[in-house]
Amino acid sequence: MTTENRVSVQLKGLRKVYGDAVALENFNLELAPGELVALLGPSGCGKTTALRILAGLDTDHQGQIIINGKDIAGVPANKRNMGMVFQAYSLFPTMTVIENVGYGLRVRKVDREKRRARAQELLELVGLGSMGNRLAHQLSGGQQQRVALARALAIQPNVLLLDEPLSALDAQVRTQLRDEIKRIQVEVGTTTLFVTHDQEEAMAIADRVGVMRHGVLEQCAPPQEVYLNPSNVKVAKFVGAMNLLPAEIVSATELKVFGHTIALRASEAGAPTGKTGMALIRPEQLSLKLTEGRGPATATVATRTFLGPLTRIAVRMIADNSVLYVSMPSSQALQFVEGSTVEIEIHAKSVLLDA
Amino acid sequence: MKRKLNYVNYLVLLVASAFFIFPIIAAAEFSLRANGATTHNFSNFQWAIQQDGFKTNLGVSFRLAILTAVAVLVLMVPTIVYLHLGGARWKRLIEFICLVPLVVPVISFALGVATAFPVFLQSTVYELSFLYVIISMPYTYRALDVGLSSIPLLTLVEASRASGASMRQTLLFVIVPTIRSAVNGAIFLAVALSLGEFTLAVILHWDTFPTWIANISQGHILAAIALSVLSLVGAWLVVLVFAILPKSFRTNKTQEAAA
Repeated sequence: MTTENRVSVQLKGLRKVYGDAVALENFNLELAPGELVALLGPSGCGKTTALRILAGLDTDHQGQIIINGKDIAGVPANKRNMGMVFQAYSLFPTMTVIENVGYGLRVRKVDREKRRARAQELLELVGLGSMGNRLAHQLSGGQQQRVALARALAIQPNVLLLDEPLSALDAQVRTQLRDEIKRIQVEVGTTTLFVTHDQEEAMAIADRVGVMRHGVLEQCAPPQEVYLNPSNVKVAKFVGAMNLLPAEIVSATELKVFGHTIALRASEAGAPTGKTGMALIRPEQLSLKLTEGRGPATATVATRTFLGPLTRIAVRMIADNSVLYVSMPSSQALQFVEGSTVEIEIHAKSVLLDA
Repeated sequence: MKRKLNYVNYLVLLVASAFFIFPIIAAAEFSLRANGATTHNFSNFQWAIQQDGFKTNLGVSFRLAILTAVAVLVLMVPTIVYLHLGGARWKRLIEFICLVPLVVPVISFALGVATAFPVFLQSTVYELSFLYVIISMPYTYRALDVGLSSIPLLTLVEASRASGASMRQTLLFVIVPTIRSAVNGAIFLAVALSLGEFTLAVILHWDTFPTWIANISQGHILAAIALSVLSLVGAWLVVLVFAILPKSFRTNKTQEAAA
């Protein structure tokens, strides 16, 4: 069941202000036909504003919204043919599940039989084929969001807009529904914008992740790249855990951490020699070695947190008492008991410097 | 503590209900009296119904009631929805306007109408409907305001808009069904007020059911009471129809769906 609607979306130079607060600043984003882009950021970063502007629910903004080459900035929300799923449960309480799913077709004057058939087809797609005659309050939260997804897709939308659809659900249902949304999105092939504050969710579901902060889109790239190759310090700090290690630039392309020389990320090459700052290194880019000696890279093991396949070890640097996190396979972590002295080794090929 | 509170609640409920119900029961009992209260039958009703003007005046009042109820819904529902959706800064003003009918004496109201209302409206009895809409505003506003406050209005409206519905479709298909009981309440208030309003009709020289009852009562007090009971029952019936109609549509639909 693929849709005929395969549209490209371009948001160009969006700017939105609420009173004195800038919610969105020079926001540019392109979605290729069939692509799923997740906007990721803390609350208040403007990600939901961007989605609502695309939906037409927030107006009074600057910039262009181009769908298949046409600017739709002046088109009202109900004429945009967008499918939307909200964070809050939003099923119409007086309608049955199947009436909810068929609602978009009903307001488009599609006749009853066709409407019911299409609604039933979508209920099957979200795995609720036998629930058509129930009312919203007879469903669990996860089921309600599935129905909302079916309702959004029933109209064969130009773009599917998902505004934190999983945030109100408990962890297990969230993971399950997340994977299912991905499956359905691939199956129907609708261009999708997904807004979330949950990194794992964004990484798991998206073709590309857009990291937002203070109304600015900092980076938009495939999940692996956002994680492994963040475009700047803000992104690096926000996505995943990050250690801050004192570092000094020793040449145009290199810096020194704990006496080791490491390449500086290309984007930052050319910073003045002698400048100091904090090198950003992920916990899995560090490893530990038991040691007797004392050096700039020695530390004592403070705590171990068992996370299943991985264990996260917090170590306290002897030199300045700062705490670093190291993660490693749990089988290797057994030897590093609390209180033992260890030397830290760095495996990063190139790092960012937070000056 | 909680138990004591419950007890007080029930006591208040009981006293309040008695306050409302006793006069109605008394009126009903009174209206059934015959032969100097020795027996009870429907003779007062029969007599009243056979009087000249019963049908015409009852018809006028019922048409007024329905017109008023419709006008109240058309005027008040969209307005209060707007206030809830972002017109909050107007809320104080509209609330105040809706309370004004409570403090303006009906007599000065009628005078204002007689001097300022357009002539084409003053030439028909249905001008009363416009006035009943205004008089019922303090009550209908409350009923609808409470109803809309109890639902996640913004989310429902946005979900409906995103699905492609116009504001009119959203009102009809989503909002009104969701606040059904509040809408029924507003209808009941408008209907009851229109069926019972006396002062304005008299001052503006129109014959309605209540003014006709007043005329009748001069000759036959028990028949007048019988008619009052009848109009009360009538109001209940109108509301019942409003309340049941959409529900029976709905059952038919779901039965169809199941079949």
